[in-house]
Amino acid sequence: MNFSEDTIIDVKGLVKNYGSFKAVNGVHFQVHNGEIFGLLGPNGAGKTTTLEMLVGLRKPDEGTAIIGTHDILRELTKVKEIIGVQLQSTSLFDLLTVEEILQMYASFYPSHIPISPLIDDMLLTEKRKSRIKGLSGGQKQRLAIALALVHDPHVVFLDEPTTGLDPQARRTLWDIVLQLKNKGKTIVLTTHYMDEAHILCDRIAIMDQGELIALDTPTQLVKSLQSDSALEFRVLQEEEFIDFSSIEGVKKVGKQSDVHMLYSDHLQKTLTSLIHFATEKNLQLVDIQTRTATLEDVFIHMTGRSLREA
Amino acid sequence: MKAYWQLTLAQLRIFLRNRQVLMWTLIFPILLMSMLGLFLGKGNGISLTIGVIDHDHTSFSNEFVNAISKNEAIHLVLQKDEEDAQTSLKNGDLQLVVTIPKGYESSLKNSGSQPLPFTIPVYYNDTNFAVSQVGLALVNGVIDEISKQRVSYEPVVEMESHGIKALHLKYIDFLVPGIVAMMIMSNNMNGVAGQIAAWRERGILRRMQGTTLKASTFIAAQITARLLMNGLQALIVLLVAHILFGVEIRGSWFTLISFIILGTLAFMAIGFIIAGIAKTPESAAPIAGVLSFPMLFLGGVFFPIKNMPEFLQPIVKLLPISHLSTALREIMNVGAAWSSLGLEAAILGGWVIAAFVIASYTFKWE
Repeated sequence: MNFSEDTIIDVKGLVKNYGSFKAVNGVHFQVHNGEIFGLLGPNGAGKTTTLEMLVGLRKPDEGTAIIGTHDILRELTKVKEIIGVQLQSTSLFDLLTVEEILQMYASFYPSHIPISPLIDDMLLTEKRKSRIKGLSGGQKQRLAIALALVHDPHVVFLDEPTTGLDPQARRTLWDIVLQLKNKGKTIVLTTHYMDEAHILCDRIAIMDQGELIALDTPTQLVKSLQSDSALEFRVLQEEEFIDFSSIEGVKKVGKQSDVHMLYSDHLQKTLTSLIHFATEKNLQLVDIQTRTATLEDVFIHMTGRSLREA
Repeated sequence: MKAYWQLTLAQLRIFLRNRQVLMWTLIFPILLMSMLGLFLGKGNGISLTIGVIDHDHTSFSNEFVNAISKNEAIHLVLQKDEEDAQTSLKNGDLQLVVTIPKGYESSLKNSGSQPLPFTIPVYYNDTNFAVSQVGLALVNGVIDEISKQRVSYEPVVEMESHGIKALHLKYIDFLVPGIVAMMIMSNNMNGVAGQIAAWRERGILRRMQGTTLKASTFIAAQITARLLMNGLQALIVLLVAHILFGVEIRGSWFTLISFIILGTLAFMAIGFIIAGIAKTPESAAPIAGVLSFPMLFLGGVFFPIKNMPEFLQPIVKLLPISHLSTALREIMNVGAAWSSLGLEAAILGGWVIAAFVIASYTFKWE
């Protein structure tokens, strides 16, 4: 099969409704060959539903997608041969060993790669004869990825691969994902972790309430804020709406529950101006923080909500 | 084909590694068989223990006691105290108590001049009706014999009875095929329903749906693995029954195994239907229970179907378990061949086909 052309996945207006709830509301995007593509958004944004439609686990109400050269509605079996899937909280036969379950999944496909090197690549060498029951969360997740790779797919879908893992296990998994990219795989992953999206993804699609609200590289997305620093604070005994947009250097303002956010390219100027402003108006500022703007700020800016509370 | 073998192998491994399930599914039928076999199925027919209190102590009364004890079925216990005898009767240690009052001999010697027959009181426990009736009939026979002798009675018509002990069947012979049928039902119907529903709930099936695996391959592997496991379990139970209780298999192994396979398929298909209907694994167990409990009692597992009330007979005759237990019983007890079990095979086959058709519509990966 020839994937030399740039686009490997073409999503054309996928729609999924659960009753009157629009889980996915007509998303369009393209994934390039060999990139790590991130679907970022809060829980319930429609990331998982989108991914599950792409891998054939849910039938779209409208729209379709092409993976490689195959339509996901009409040639699902062909699609399944070239994609590998790791689902959220994959559960497997607890009583089988790592090696046995890999052999079993390998047998489901017309062809597969050798099991032993795959186990080594996923850092499961010592656990090859262990039952799945006794694996740690990180080991189970690496096994789930191994299962997704057993038939040497072109595209790998990872649904929240690091959710619930400790920081150490997350980093191990990031390394594995980056290695997959080096081997030429295209990876589509969903996450609600900003840092993860930033480190791993070449391009990120931000989803919220079933819609795709932005798609770009992490750097470009942050740049779209037009400011590189963020200033956060709370106001004690805040009674009425206070407009901070007149403060010097402020490009954008945001508010999230009782925390105010000011975005600026000139942090020092803005900070000095803010202190003056507060003294004049007799406001008591607490919890003042400054930091570099992140994807989180992009999301807050676009939706008015933070990823975690949304 | 590779996927089919791998899945079959995986299921067999899961069976063998799930030691607890394996143990209990084997222990239960063997325990049930041993308990019912030992307590209900002791020996051949009924044995009676009769207490006799002789107040007369004469040669005539001795003769009476001897006449009773001659009967093979009767175990005779001589009692002295009337109250003790009554207590044993109430406790069930004695089935009958016969009292020979004083004056028995003298009454018999003067029988010609006496207008009324001499009375021998016989006490029985009316809570154990069937056994008491047999005992009463036996004692009555002895008394009748003595009466006839005294009056020099010449019979005009005589009965000649021949007991035929062709197969020498005991309750355990009836029970073991029933228990094998029960085991096939519960392991497959409840087992499939519970396991598939649990796998679906946990997303195990969903993950497999993400591969190129076909549902038919998955189901075929399930069936193969379960046939092997159930065949093995049935053989172990039969072996235990043979060694411990001397249960014979008179029919051919081929016929027996054919019906074990047919029964396994029928109940597995019903299990797949339940798994399809049940929304959660928690609801699969009660649904399977609702179906299996009536079948246990109506299906001729523990009691012959003929003992069922008339209005239940048509229902009983449609249940797959009745036909499975009947067929197994005919094969094991009587040595029936395939040709004489056409009805059973047809009805079980009907269940297999109907249930698999319904199951194919209700089966869901998620």
